[in-house]
Amino acid sequence: MSPLRVAAVFRRIVAQFRRDPRSVALLFVAPLAIIALLGWVLGSQGAMAARVAVINHSTAPGAEVVVTRLESELEGQTGITIDRSVADDSTARQMLKDKKLDLVLVLPVDFSTQNRKIDLLTLGLNPTAEYASLPAVQKVLISALTDSTVGAALPTIERATVYGSPNATQLDSLAPVVVGFFAYFFVFILTGISFLRERIGGTLERLLATPVSRGEIVLGYSLGFGFFATLQVALVLAFVLGRLDIQALGPVPAFAIGLGVHTAGNPLISYLLVLVLGLGAVSLGIFLSTFARTELQILQFIPIVIVPQGLLGGFFWPIEQLPNLLQPVARILPVTYAIDGLRQVMIAGADLTSPQVLLDLGVLVGIAAVFVVLAAATIRREVA
Amino acid sequence: MTMAPTPPAPVTAPAHATLRPAALQPAVEATALRKDFGAIHAVDGIDMSLPPGRIYGLLGPNGSGKTTLIRLLMGLALATSGTAKVLGVEMPSRANLARIGYMTQADGIYPELSAWENLTFFAALYGQTDKAQLHAALELVELDTRANTPAQNLSGGMRRRLSMACALAHHPVVIFLDEPTVGVDPALRVQFWDHFHRLAADGATLLVSSHVMDEADRCDELVFMRDGHVLAQGTSAELRRRAGTDNIEAAFLRFATDPAAATGAAATPAPKAQPTGAER
Repeated sequence: MSPLRVAAVFRRIVAQFRRDPRSVALLFVAPLAIIALLGWVLGSQGAMAARVAVINHSTAPGAEVVVTRLESELEGQTGITIDRSVADDSTARQMLKDKKLDLVLVLPVDFSTQNRKIDLLTLGLNPTAEYASLPAVQKVLISALTDSTVGAALPTIERATVYGSPNATQLDSLAPVVVGFFAYFFVFILTGISFLRERIGGTLERLLATPVSRGEIVLGYSLGFGFFATLQVALVLAFVLGRLDIQALGPVPAFAIGLGVHTAGNPLISYLLVLVLGLGAVSLGIFLSTFARTELQILQFIPIVIVPQGLLGGFFWPIEQLPNLLQPVARILPVTYAIDGLRQVMIAGADLTSPQVLLDLGVLVGIAAVFVVLAAATIRREVA
Repeated sequence: MTMAPTPPAPVTAPAHATLRPAALQPAVEATALRKDFGAIHAVDGIDMSLPPGRIYGLLGPNGSGKTTLIRLLMGLALATSGTAKVLGVEMPSRANLARIGYMTQADGIYPELSAWENLTFFAALYGQTDKAQLHAALELVELDTRANTPAQNLSGGMRRRLSMACALAHHPVVIFLDEPTVGVDPALRVQFWDHFHRLAADGATLLVSSHVMDEADRCDELVFMRDGHVLAQGTSAELRRRAGTDNIEAAFLRFATDPAAATGAAATPAPKAQPTGAER
């Protein structure tokens, strides 16, 4: 292993990269743009407006009181407006179809102080969006039914969490995922394509005609792309964790740069996790470039390599909720461990004394080591 | 990372210092060398021994196995059977590559990097970091004024020249040049050959492949290849005499149609080749 030759490969990759502004943009601007978009979307979700109607089909005593109470209390909730003009179920259904209502509460014919069942009616096109205002409605239901009707007082629930805050937004829990995933994705794509170019452009043949060893090539590549991954992760972390508020100036409204996500743990540990993940991605890119003949074929690896990691790595669903057959699959994916580690650090405030974080880090190092060996094995002198 | 037995000289030793003692052994040697790609015998049992200090022209039509032979000699392809030795060391040997120069048929340079960056990169892999010598290498191929131009903005001939500078900057003792003069203008081609002769005079061994015969007379010795076989080997004059023609292309065709005319493919012309040549 000659440091001179490793340094030569490293310098060459840095020089090549500097000459390629589009790749620089892909690495540095694209993740920020996507994260900013995500932050914007998730950050303003609470303000969703819902138009609600309450319909009474019951003649039981007290039903009318419940309706009045529901309406007045719902009106007090932000984002909810009450439409009192709707008289019956079929009108309400038509209004849902016409997009004039979002949510309808129906006190059925058999509603009484003993049978306090209330029907909730929505359009059913996009359940996630339709139920966005459900928590507010439920809260109101509880208090309306408890006070007005004769029955016993229902308990109210106040949420508390061990880590973070019960009011944590989706953004807080997604931030670690986003940081890890981007590092992996972009480093993989860039290394894969760079190394493919070596293979098809005749430079790998030329490289192997020199005394450089396969290990020196993989190490030089890892240092080169690791260097850019380092810069990228630093930038992404700074953007996710930091927040810079800009005052309104003339026609430009006030806005903030950065998401200002709270991190409970040391950002340097998050950084370490993502860096090891990225080094694994460098070797994976070199390894998979063996199986591609064109740059298009590198992109074909995205649905095979990247998307499953996004689906199974804990991005959308916890590993434990996956079907039994898929759980082992999820447990061999590097992104799974990065996301778990990042959540431990950023949300639970774990540090390097946490066995969980050490396990995640250890597995990531192991996976990276396996792919370094695989990558070196594919750089054969026999390239024909 | 696969390492053949330790080569006689360490990588860092000055290239020319190792040459003189080795002058007695062949610079390039192939023994029953064979390379199959499936059913195709790209190199079909070649025996060859090239003494040092000369320029050998490896001539043959497209697909005759020239590049595969060179890749076998470089250790870039693994032989199906037989051995390839360079400077007495069996290939593949990574350390031995430090004493070998290789100019590939494709340019094998990085299009985004400047001429200077390409040259310094490849030279560094050979341990050559002497700036003055690298400048001289660039001057030799007349690219000193284009040092900072990205390779992708150079003309085809300029890229060929840069590729040559990258192959020669570490002062190799054995040099394989795969179609080096393709796309190079005639004036510069003359300079290339002058330089090749200077390198040979300094003791280097050059194997230059070409599919055109008009460069044959610039070589000290010729190796005719066809269908993975060596048809004939010898000086241009010898081969023409053996074929009974004064045209080197006609000689090649003669050997191709009547391999018996070329028996005695070793450097010494076989007397028995004479009668067959005279039949014509």
